[in-house]
Amino acid sequence: MSLDFPALLPQVDGLGRSAAERAAELGARLPHAFQALGAAARVPREELGRLLARAGSRWPGAFPSAEPIDGVFACPPHPERLNIFAADGSQVYPDRHGLTLFYLINIGSIHIAHGSGDPPEVSSTPRLLYEESDLYGEDEGLMPSALIDGQRDAAELAELAHRSEARPEGPSLAILDNGLLLWLALQMKDSHRPEVTRILGDYLEQLGRLKSAGTAVAGFVDRPRNANVLALLHLASLSPDEVNEDSLHVKPWRGLTDRAIFARLLRPGERSARFEHASPVNERFRAAGHAVEFFYLCCGEDQIARIEVPAWVGADPALMAIVHSGIIQQCRTPGGFPYALVRAHELAVVSSEDRQALEEMLAEALLRHGLPAQPSQKSLTKQWTGARRRHRL
Amino acid sequence: MPQEQAPIGRVTRSSTRGFVGAVRLPEPEIPVFGSFCRAEAQRGQSAVIGLIYNISIEDDAFARQVATAEGITPEQLADTRFNRQVPVEFSALAVGFRLADGYRYTLPPQPPLTMAAIHPLLPGEIRGFSERPEWIPLVLGAPEIPADDLLAAALRLAAAARAEAERAPFLLSTGRECARLLSHDLTRLDNLLRMLVV
Repeated sequence: MSLDFPALLPQVDGLGRSAAERAAELGARLPHAFQALGAAARVPREELGRLLARAGSRWPGAFPSAEPIDGVFACPPHPERLNIFAADGSQVYPDRHGLTLFYLINIGSIHIAHGSGDPPEVSSTPRLLYEESDLYGEDEGLMPSALIDGQRDAAELAELAHRSEARPEGPSLAILDNGLLLWLALQMKDSHRPEVTRILGDYLEQLGRLKSAGTAVAGFVDRPRNANVLALLHLASLSPDEVNEDSLHVKPWRGLTDRAIFARLLRPGERSARFEHASPVNERFRAAGHAVEFFYLCCGEDQIARIEVPAWVGADPALMAIVHSGIIQQCRTPGGFPYALVRAHELAVVSSEDRQALEEMLAEALLRHGLPAQPSQKSLTKQWTGARRRHRL
Repeated sequence: MPQEQAPIGRVTRSSTRGFVGAVRLPEPEIPVFGSFCRAEAQRGQSAVIGLIYNISIEDDAFARQVATAEGITPEQLADTRFNRQVPVEFSALAVGFRLADGYRYTLPPQPPLTMAAIHPLLPGEIRGFSERPEWIPLVLGAPEIPADDLLAAALRLAAAARAEAERAPFLLSTGRECARLLSHDLTRLDNLLRMLVV
């Protein structure tokens, strides 16, 4: 065992102490933040509009919707029949020390026809990518993992669109295990621009397919750490003249999250008001008619999730009711996380055993075609030392 | 050669004394306790005849969570039962093997290999195998399994594979064989015979 646990013990204890101190400090500030939510809700919309206009495009906050900022919405009745689609993906990144260069994207998905009593339809669809055009980007470097993640996200959405287009009887809800905004565009900045543009275009096209199919789409973010609404509360506390780069950089609620505020506001089943992402990435989504909105949802006792929806879902009360009641119903069995997403993940995940079996298949294929099937010496030595006997404390 | 039935599972581990098979629930039929089955061995030169003596349904943390959750829907119930890859595992005791020229009533020379298909014995095969009683000592002498219950269940199934008129004579003759083998343990014999007539 390489880790020196005796050396770690005091550090682990320090971590626990520090976390407790931070929790106490945040707990003391939370009531003030909660009061700020009420105060922001009382700011006239025209004045709030002026503040938002002055905040600029780089402000990392949230634009309020027509709903009151501190609004609380009860769970609407669940429809008798509802098609729930969920998709999740996993990947194996290229490994230059492996047998050969490739990467794999596996998409797991499920269609639950709620109200039918039938077993859900499930699928697991792997895709092996190994051509030069798959492996190398415009800069001729190996495909970065962020781009592979982006392809996986687009493939998840494509799977949901494909299932939705079958148009089964009754309304439909498609859920993803993540936010809807494709962060790839921000992560990659100016590098790999053609690939990013292609993936983003594909992603937006899939959202369009879902919209055409009349499916309510939602991204489910468990234990969110965002503070966009807190940024809005800070902005709302300023006068228009006070809004400048310096004042916006002040973070009176640093360390707190939106989740902490809404955990205090919402009871199980209830949702918050809708807000719109103020991220620059959302401009591309807005231009394509899919601006991303979000709200917080209490999925169970002390379980606050952030739900992201396209604006066309947010603007349609019937679709919003499907998202709200559908997710709450799905969260009942696993206790705060949608059942459909649990199963989609289970269908998508590439386990270490799967990975090993895949490596064996690849080795056989390479040998059959007269090629050596040998990992790098570095990889081999790691396999040797990785098998060393480990002693428990 | 009798008509082949769909396999009830595949061998996951084996030894000379028996083998363990796994099957997913949507497979045609879950095997039953005491039923006869066979798994190919020695590259098809022989087939090990087994008696299924233990059937277990595996679980995992998610299955336990779903089982204890309130408000589980019929679709989630069906999903957990039919879609999730939670296997049924069954163990079979080797009671003989089949060669091209007939059955042998001893432990097989080699166990079946991993992934060998496990087929149920058809009624004709059950009749052929159980025509002679030499397999019975292998069941009675098997350690750490419910041997008497297994033998009674197997004999009842073997009787059921016969025509109505042949069932009682079959049970009578195999009962006599059991009496001979268990003459030193009358309590056990009595218990076994009672199970046979139930």
